[in-house]
Amino acid sequence: MEIQLSQLMPIPLRDKLSQRKSDIWNEEVTFRPGTFVKIKAPSGSGKTTLIHYLYNIRFDYTGQIRVDNKPWPDHSKNEIAGIRQQHISIIFQDLRLFGQLSASENIELKRVMIPQPYCSADKVKEMAARLNVTHVLQQSGKTLSYGERQRIAIIRALSQPFKWLLMDEPFSHLDAENARLAAELIAEECKSRQAGFILTDLDDDQHFAYDVKLQL
Amino acid sequence: MREFFRLLRKIIKTGVARSRFVMAAIGLGIAMVLILVAIQTYTDFNQLLYGAQNQNETADFLVINKQITNAMMGQANKSAFSKEEIEQISKQPFVQSFGVVTPSQFKVVAQAPGDLHFATDMFFEAVPDSFLDVKSEDWKWEPGNNTIPIILPNDFLNLYNFGFSLSQDLPQISQETVKALPLQVNISGNGRSDSYIGRIVGFSDRISSFLVPASFMNWANQKYGAGQAAGTTRVIVKTPDPSNPKLVKFLNDNGYTTNLDKLKFSKTRVIVQTIVSVVGFFGLVLLFFALLVFSMFIQLVIAGSKEEIQLLVTLGAAPQQLQRYLLKQFVPLYVIIGIVSLVLVAACQYAASIALSRHQMLVDPWPGVGVFAAIVLIMLLVYLVNWLTVKKYVNN
Repeated sequence: MEIQLSQLMPIPLRDKLSQRKSDIWNEEVTFRPGTFVKIKAPSGSGKTTLIHYLYNIRFDYTGQIRVDNKPWPDHSKNEIAGIRQQHISIIFQDLRLFGQLSASENIELKRVMIPQPYCSADKVKEMAARLNVTHVLQQSGKTLSYGERQRIAIIRALSQPFKWLLMDEPFSHLDAENARLAAELIAEECKSRQAGFILTDLDDDQHFAYDVKLQL
Repeated sequence: MREFFRLLRKIIKTGVARSRFVMAAIGLGIAMVLILVAIQTYTDFNQLLYGAQNQNETADFLVINKQITNAMMGQANKSAFSKEEIEQISKQPFVQSFGVVTPSQFKVVAQAPGDLHFATDMFFEAVPDSFLDVKSEDWKWEPGNNTIPIILPNDFLNLYNFGFSLSQDLPQISQETVKALPLQVNISGNGRSDSYIGRIVGFSDRISSFLVPASFMNWANQKYGAGQAAGTTRVIVKTPDPSNPKLVKFLNDNGYTTNLDKLKFSKTRVIVQTIVSVVGFFGLVLLFFALLVFSMFIQLVIAGSKEEIQLLVTLGAAPQQLQRYLLKQFVPLYVIIGIVSLVLVAACQYAASIALSRHQMLVDPWPGVGVFAAIVLIMLLVYLVNWLTVKKYVNN
C-alpha cells in the first residue's frame, strides 16, 4: 500500500509554511510500502496536522493524499473503516483512550473490532509485559499516568493488522529505557507485518533504523 | 463481535432517559393493540355478515317505492318510476335481481263463500315468480282457467285473526281453512264483468300485497284494463346484503323507501365501522407518536455519546457496526412488544369467539390474517424508522 502526497498544503498554515522550505508541504512525496519514515518537525510546523491528514480525520488542506492510488475523499465511510481496521494503525499524540474502559478493555476494543482478531489475547499480555504495564491492565483508563497511557496506546495500535503505522511523538511521555523497549516492540511488529511507519517527532533520535528522514 | 458489542455497551450509554423510552414502548404497545383490535373487529364483523357458517339467509328482498309526500298527493303518476329510474335501480351493484310489481288495471270485488256475508273491494298485483317465497303446485294460470291462484300477505291474515275477527265476533281462521275456502272474485272493467273462483295457495312474508300469477295479470289487464298501462310504482329487488350502507344511501338519495326494518342492521354496521375506524385511527396516531419518541430517543442516545462515537469511528469502527449495535439495543424490545400485543389480541379474540358462540354467532377463535399482516407491517415500519434514524445520526 502506497501513500502519495501531492502538493499537500494545510489551509490554515498556508501563509506561514509557504515562506520556508519543507520536504513535504507543497511537494510530491511517495511513501513506499514497508519503509520506516521519520519526519522531523519543529513545533508549529504542522506535525500533528500532517498525521491527521494522513489518517483522514482532518480535511482542511489543498492538494491530494492518495492511498492505494485513490484520493481520500473518494473512499466511502465503510472503506475508510476497513482501512483503519486492516491497513493503517495510529498512535495519537493525545493518546485517545476511553476513560470509561479499563486499560485492557481499551486494547481489547481495537483487537476485537475485526471479526477475526489479528493477535491473540495472550499476545496482548505479552506485549504489556514487555512494556511493563501488566500491572495497570485492569485499571480504568482515567486513572493511568500519561506514560502508562502512551504504552497502552502503543499496544492498542499494535493489536491490529496494518501496513502503515502512524506515530505522533509516540515516546513523548516515556523515559529512555521504556522508549527503547517500545521502539524495539514496534520495530518487531512492523517487520513481522512487513509494514512501514511514519513517525513524527521534534528532534533527531536513534530509536529506529530509519529508511527515510524528512524535514517538515 | 459479541465481545466488541459488550465493550460498546460500556461506551455508548443507552440508559439515558430510560423512563421516556419505556413510555414510548408502552405507547407502541397500546398503538399496536388498538390497530390490531380494529383490524380484528372488522374481520369478525365481516365474518358474521358474510361467513358461510353465519349464513342465515342474509340475501333479502326489498320492495321499493317512492315516498309519498304531501306535494305528490293526488298525482298518481308522480309516484311512478320512470324508465331511467328503473334502469338505474336495476344497475346498482347491490341489486342481485330485479323485478317490477305489476298493478291491476281493473276493479276487483272478493266475496267469501257461503254464509260468511263477507265482501270487499280489493286489488291484485303480480311479481315475477322468482321473487316469491311461496312455492306451490297450484301457482299457475292459463287463459281459460276459471280459478285464479292468489297469495295473501301473512300480515293480512294476522290482522283479521287478531284484530278484526275478535272485535266483530267472527271466527278466527287458520291458514289451512283459508286455503280450502274458495273465494268468489268479480273482475270488472273495460265494460265487462266476469266472475272467477279465487283460491288462496299461500301466504307471503316477503311481499305485502295480494298477488296473482303474472300470466293472469297480463291477460286480465289486457282484457279489463283501459288499455293504458299504469306506471310502475313498486319494484322488487333481491340484494345479498340489505345492511349495505350504500343501498341505504341510494334509497335516501333518491327519495325511495322500503321496509325500513330490513335496513336497520345497516345503521349498526355504520356505527361499528365508525368505531373501528376511530380506534384504528387513534392507533395509527399513537404509532406515529411512538415512532417519533423512539427517533428522538435514538437521537438523544447518539448525541449523548457523540464524542465516544467519533472516537470509535476514528479508531476504525465501521458505521455499520455501530448501527447494528444500536439497533440491537432497541429491536428486541419491539419484537417483545409485538409478541405481547399479538398474544393479547389473540386472547381477546378467543374470549370473544366463546362469548359470541353462546349467541350462535360463530367467529374464528384465532386472529385473522389481517392481524398478522398488520403486525409484520408495523414491525417493519418501526424497524425501518429506527434504522433510518440510526443511520442518519451515526453518519453525522
